[in-house]
Amino acid sequence: MSLLGERERDAVASVWEHLAHDVGVRLDVGPVATPVALLAAGGREIDTNAEARALVEELCALSDRVTLELFEHQEAGAYPSLTVGAGLRYVGLPWGYELASVVQAVAVAGADGPALSEPSLERLGAIERPVSIDVFVTPT
Amino acid sequence: MLLAYRCALASPQITATAVEASEFPTWADRHGVMAVPAIVVDERPRWTGSVPEDVFVDRLLAAVRETGTAVSD
Repeated sequence: MSLLGERERDAVASVWEHLAHDVGVRLDVGPVATPVALLAAGGREIDTNAEARALVEELCALSDRVTLELFEHQEAGAYPSLTVGAGLRYVGLPWGYELASVVQAVAVAGADGPALSEPSLERLGAIERPVSIDVFVTPT
Repeated sequence: MLLAYRCALASPQITATAVEASEFPTWADRHGVMAVPAIVVDERPRWTGSVPEDVFVDRLLAAVRETGTAVSD
């Protein structure tokens, strides 16, 4: 069963059409330490790992430049976890608005030009130690 | 979220993770997340809401400076 409609597939394909580099996407799935019941419309409980896998497999098939690697874990952790390129990570099922952000993340990772404006690049270049940014989001 | 990703692409020192808060409420609660997007830098909650690129970089650098002398002038 296809999770994406024809219009969505076309939209993704047109964004990824301009990828200048190959982009590796990695999906890690496994048991979640403290599972939360998420209900889809109609009251069906969502298996986030299975849903993420189906969605990401369908997405990655839309461009020759995007390749998918899948890792299945036995130990509990924060899954599903999607890694785009060298270190852009999305933890959870990327649905709704967040799916568009993941599609854009692939586009940014595979783009030829700089990721930010020249002044921003210069200022960030002054950072001399590892810094982690976590952004908490919701799909709506 | 995309700005955080762009920063990670721009600097090899930066890693960026987006977390779906409703799937990981314990993780979100640990940082007192009440609204989204909520930005946490080096495990400390910093700000909430979308901001333009220059403001994002300002706030990120301020957060990094506050937790150490790791930004060269």
